[in-house]
Amino acid sequence: MAGVTSRRLNGAVLLVAPFVLVFAVFGVFPLLYTAWMSVRRWHLIDGDHGFVGLANYARLFADPDFYHALGNTVCILVVATAVQMVLSLWLAVLLDRATRGRALWCSVALLPNVVPAVAVALIFAQLFGRDYGVVNWLLKLVGAGPVNWQAHSWSAYLGVAAMVVWRWTGYNALLCLAAMQTVPRELVEAAQLDGASRWRVFRSVTLPLIRPTVSFTLLMSVVGGLQVFTEPQLFDVAGLSGTGGNDRQFQTVVMYLYEQGFGRWDAGYAATVSWSLFLLCAAFGVVNAFVFRRPRSGAGP
Amino acid sequence: MRQRRTTGLITALWTVLAIVLAGCADTGGGRVEIVVATFGEFGYEPLFTEYERLHPDIHLVGRVSDFDSHHRDLITALAVGRGAADVVAVEEQYLPRMRQVKDKFVDLATYGAGDLRPQWAPWKWEQGLAGPTVLGLGTDMGGLAMCYRRDLFAAAGLPTDRDEVAKLWPTWDGYAATADRFAERSPGAKFVDSAGTIYTAIVNQGEQNYFAKADDSFIGDTNPRIRRAFDVAAGLATRKRTAGVTTFTQPWNVAINQGAFATITCPAWMLAQIKQSGGAAGTGNWDVTSIPEGGGNWGGSFLTVPAQGAHPREAYEVARWLTAPEQQKALFLHDAILPSEPAVYHDPAVLGHTDPYFADAPVGRIFAASSDQVRPNYRGLRDADVRPKFGLALGRVEDGTQSVDAAWEQAVREARETLRWPG
Repeated sequence: MAGVTSRRLNGAVLLVAPFVLVFAVFGVFPLLYTAWMSVRRWHLIDGDHGFVGLANYARLFADPDFYHALGNTVCILVVATAVQMVLSLWLAVLLDRATRGRALWCSVALLPNVVPAVAVALIFAQLFGRDYGVVNWLLKLVGAGPVNWQAHSWSAYLGVAAMVVWRWTGYNALLCLAAMQTVPRELVEAAQLDGASRWRVFRSVTLPLIRPTVSFTLLMSVVGGLQVFTEPQLFDVAGLSGTGGNDRQFQTVVMYLYEQGFGRWDAGYAATVSWSLFLLCAAFGVVNAFVFRRPRSGAGP
Repeated sequence: MRQRRTTGLITALWTVLAIVLAGCADTGGGRVEIVVATFGEFGYEPLFTEYERLHPDIHLVGRVSDFDSHHRDLITALAVGRGAADVVAVEEQYLPRMRQVKDKFVDLATYGAGDLRPQWAPWKWEQGLAGPTVLGLGTDMGGLAMCYRRDLFAAAGLPTDRDEVAKLWPTWDGYAATADRFAERSPGAKFVDSAGTIYTAIVNQGEQNYFAKADDSFIGDTNPRIRRAFDVAAGLATRKRTAGVTTFTQPWNVAINQGAFATITCPAWMLAQIKQSGGAAGTGNWDVTSIPEGGGNWGGSFLTVPAQGAHPREAYEVARWLTAPEQQKALFLHDAILPSEPAVYHDPAVLGHTDPYFADAPVGRIFAASSDQVRPNYRGLRDADVRPKFGLALGRVEDGTQSVDAAWEQAVREARETLRWPG
């Protein structure tokens, strides 16, 4: 008996070993190395200049630009995530109802996600161009004045959020669709027999049952949103040297990290920003797990 | 049967792998491959063919990107110790910081670069040094002139002859007054591309800007030249004389192509950029004249050899050849890339050169003839940290989100703040 168990255990270890190995090399090691860098004065090219304790962290906590970037990130994240969740649930319902060509529609929904973020960002930055952008041209057709999208926080948030929504809605819709298809038909039909409207069925039967998937999607989009970089960086007309507009009005945390690490060559401070961001993501993960721990008992009517 | 199929599959995989590896390793066809990384318009492509003809054992590969990506790529490559091209152009703005990490570059003196010294104007040669180390060989320099659209000037009722135009703006105040005259008659186009180019030109007309030449202390807030440059440029912005397009960006290219602005300060290397953005259809639209308040220098680059490359000697030979007088002359005649070597800019063929794209402007006389007066501006060690703050401030004025004084105060505050921390 014992022999069988240990052999089974060996097999399990063998099976997860590749993942653990890859995770150790590309996940754990960079994490620890970044933590090490964040307590040292580290010049990007020149390397290590010695231990500085928590000086980088002290500087970060008193750094208004960091909080400003964090505020921008959260605003973009809230707009993008809210729109994304609603749209992807709606899309999933539509796909769930589709009787013909569902596979085709699913592929179409996934298309924006396959396009590299850089390409998406470059195209959207042109769409939102001040002088020759399509969005302003459309606004002009309906009689609204041109908007200098990059010049104001609110307009830049919208532009960046639009890119994020464009890229991730289809992907999230597929996740929700997969969950919806596991909802037992009998429950839906029973509710319909009881005279529940479509909306009522969705709200009281489908949604509670796909709750774990919605929770996961939310977690992924928040974690992704906290790390958003390519879209806002390339939304800045100045490109790589941009700092999120002329007044950092749409600089996100990772853009700030990039500015510090690759613009000012202060890799130690960039590592500090990076670790703080990691802690934020982890904290959100914990909160999320707590809130969505399990469906409330007695869910449904 | 099953066994054999597996063996066959593995053999096939190995074959594919071998072909891929062979393909990757063999691109040079047995020749030594030297990658030359530049940004913007260096005009090197025709020279590469020539060099390969002279050196059949060398295969030259050009890698061109935009200014920011190019320098960021170099920095990343230096940080991780691999990935840099064999020969890399470095613009003078980045030189002070590259000097700090000079051991990441080959000291070109080890291959005899010291003997080349008399080739360059003395200041250009000295810029390429880091102590006794020869960090880079000078390529071009950025003598200043003003480019203007003849067609837009004519439409606005302004003179189009380049000497007459020069008389409109002996000073920057004259330039601003011309901008107002232009705006009255020609509301369709703006007078200048952005506040930033005017600002940079005025700043670069001085010998020192943000940092004192004597002790490298920050003088950005007290140097009258900086404040004056800021006020002239911001004044143009508040009166809506600028098109508000950032240099070298996509909107800037489009604006040139569409004739959205009438003037731009033209360091010599700008001509090639305008030609490229304007396209063949723009021939004859632009002309070149002198800039208010005399010359100045904006930019200029150096060819360096990162120490991580596999073929430093061959790379040095390429850099030496590309910066040699014959090639500098060819580059000027072809692309108006202004040489930094007296023997070249005193050459009659260079002095007499005209450019048909710019309405046959005597670019040789305009740029090369004033080259002896070109002086470098002192670049402080932290120049790259401070400089962008003032550019962004002008951007805020241009966007209309801040007043001139508030933008200036914020720029100075941000500059001081960034200097508080080690860079």
